[in-house]
Amino acid sequence: MNLRDLLSPFFVWQRAFEKPYTSIRPTIDRPGAPAYRGFHINVSEECVGCGSCHSICQNHAIDMVPAAEFEGRTGDSGLRPRFDYGRCCWCGLCVDICTAASLRMSNEYAWISEDPDEFHFTAGVDDKPWQNNEHGYRRAEGYHLYPPKRIEMDMLSPDESVQSFEEVARGYSEAQAKLEADRCVECGICVATCPAHMDVPDYIHSIRDGDYEKGLQLMYRTNPFPATCGRICTRRCESVCPVGILGEPVAIRWLKRFIVDQVDAKDYPRILNDQIIESGHRVAIIGAGPGGLSAAYYLRKKGHAVTVFEAGETAGGMLRYGVPSYRLPDADLDKDIAYIVSLGVDIRYNTRIGKDIDFEQLLQDYAAVFLSTGLSVPSNMRIQGEDHARVLSGLQVLADVASGRDPGIGSRVAVIGGGNVAMDAARVSRRLGAEVTILYRRRIADMPADEEEIHESQEEGCNIVPQAIPVEIIAADKPQQVSIKWGEAEMVQDPTGGRPRPVLQEDRMHTDTYDCIISAIGQGSDLDFLSKENQQQLAIEWGKFTPGEYQQSALQKVFVGGDVANRTADAISAIEDGHHAARGIERLLNPDGFTATQTDNTGEPA
Amino acid sequence: MNTVDEILDYAIDQEQQAADFYEDLAGRVEKGGMKEILMEFSAEEQRHKQRLLAVKSGEHELTPEQEVLDLKISDYLIDVDATDDISYQDALIVAMKRERAAYKLYSDMAEKLPESHLRKVILGLAKEEARHKLFFESEYDERVLRDN
Repeated sequence: MNLRDLLSPFFVWQRAFEKPYTSIRPTIDRPGAPAYRGFHINVSEECVGCGSCHSICQNHAIDMVPAAEFEGRTGDSGLRPRFDYGRCCWCGLCVDICTAASLRMSNEYAWISEDPDEFHFTAGVDDKPWQNNEHGYRRAEGYHLYPPKRIEMDMLSPDESVQSFEEVARGYSEAQAKLEADRCVECGICVATCPAHMDVPDYIHSIRDGDYEKGLQLMYRTNPFPATCGRICTRRCESVCPVGILGEPVAIRWLKRFIVDQVDAKDYPRILNDQIIESGHRVAIIGAGPGGLSAAYYLRKKGHAVTVFEAGETAGGMLRYGVPSYRLPDADLDKDIAYIVSLGVDIRYNTRIGKDIDFEQLLQDYAAVFLSTGLSVPSNMRIQGEDHARVLSGLQVLADVASGRDPGIGSRVAVIGGGNVAMDAARVSRRLGAEVTILYRRRIADMPADEEEIHESQEEGCNIVPQAIPVEIIAADKPQQVSIKWGEAEMVQDPTGGRPRPVLQEDRMHTDTYDCIISAIGQGSDLDFLSKENQQQLAIEWGKFTPGEYQQSALQKVFVGGDVANRTADAISAIEDGHHAARGIERLLNPDGFTATQTDNTGEPA
Repeated sequence: MNTVDEILDYAIDQEQQAADFYEDLAGRVEKGGMKEILMEFSAEEQRHKQRLLAVKSGEHELTPEQEVLDLKISDYLIDVDATDDISYQDALIVAMKRERAAYKLYSDMAEKLPESHLRKVILGLAKEEARHKLFFESEYDERVLRDN
């Protein structure tokens, strides 16, 4: 070793005071290329937390984490993507799949920190300087990883459909169903929105796998009316489907129908394999509509003896008498009902509570009572001349047609109302050969009827006259006709709030003559079967019950549900009310066993 | 009724009578839930009365010049009776019709008077009643005419 080798470490120290060759920050800010794939940007207000970015990421670099400010929003999971830059390879697949196009990449590429744990961040929630960066990678216009348009359902043409009561929607083929199923990103936002919390992603997955028996099993966990809901569900699931943000939502209803249509009713017992161990408890249900029969199914599964009291001749309630067969054929409704009844549900037809059996008697004879009597009384317009013989109720017209009776509407009909009953009455009238005018007091956009029904009624030739307020019914020259006086309305913003209200313009009145006027302005409950004392005991507001937890009423052993106890008044809500009440009744009858390990896909005891 | 105080006393008495009417009906009705609704109507009339008492004591001023939206719903509905088995729809019709009658009464009264402070007060009362009518007509529009 020479002297230089010995002294050289000391010479290094002289470098300590020189300008370094490296730096802790790049000294030159060179921007990334305009389309560079840099750090992520998420417009959190547009993001719905569907998690498709998380699912597609090949490096598991994205976690979905709760973002408090977005929790509880309808159609939003309340989660937002959190990125791990130790894993990200900047491929941009997350941007390409994003259903809301809220996820982008900035062209920022420099982020310096001595703490390796810092390179996690929740885009759009954690404050970062590149959040508003205008450059960076964006999905190309018109580029989609899944088809934005749904597979069209084959439908009868309007000309064909008005010729008969044949079902208008023809159903998917297997190839069509698989293609449509492929559009689902399996986010599960639909599960939270569906009143019955149906396991939509998994039953759609069963179509991809061709395992329809599994699909049926999944559906029956929370809904014993899949053939029905596969046709006429109000499908709130589709209204929140994130695939619908940039394109059309997945046709969840049609896929549900497809599964049910693939399975023969005779195979249901084997596939669903409902084993019943009798509990010894007896439960009474009033009303054999979707709510009552849903409760009956889940109560029977728990081994309770179920007796359903039905005032009509057949089961199905409003599904039978209020939904025309071109939307829901009897055979499909019967497929659902037959399986429920096959579990040993006893339905007493033509039995009206309050007339044939006293309500108090039920309270004495049964361990619990579920009350789901629906809304069966048509509302009156309460205008002059309404009692004219040629003014018919929409519900009566639909019930007549469903029962094979001629409602005697004539050839020129005016329908009053904008709900589903009005649309159905109008479309039924078209099928009976009548020329139809629908008078509705607000705008078409305000109609409470299903958008699809409004569209199809127009396609079938119904003439909708919006902003038309009926003021008087007048006898026509011919006894088999009737005239209606109506006035045009202007929509005026109510200064006290709420939606714009129609105001009659008295200088723009019209009088028209028809063969009949079908009034379909809504319906109310008939609770006269309950004594005054019972009515006071059961909390009732504006003609509807106000149930507590598990649909329980103020009377401990009485549970309520369906249209007579909810605001939505649709089949799927009634079905869930029935399921929920069944759980409540189980809790009442079997409190120790209620926390059973068996759960449905909502995590609650099935 | 020639003075402002007299007309205000009359109006206050009318509101009290309306409150009593609904309270009495609430004690007789049979349908579940109706009692509560009629008691709400009665409370609403008591609020109207309090407002007029405040006008009389000078704490609150009437606003005869303010326009009030007229939905004209009750104008074309038939009269119904306040029976023991009254329905929700009919209870609202009774309420709307009563407010409409009061509005018409004050409007007609004001029309016959020359321009004066008394006329202004009566017109102000008419507007108050128009507001009450709007309240019940909005309820009817929301609840009864939901599908229409």
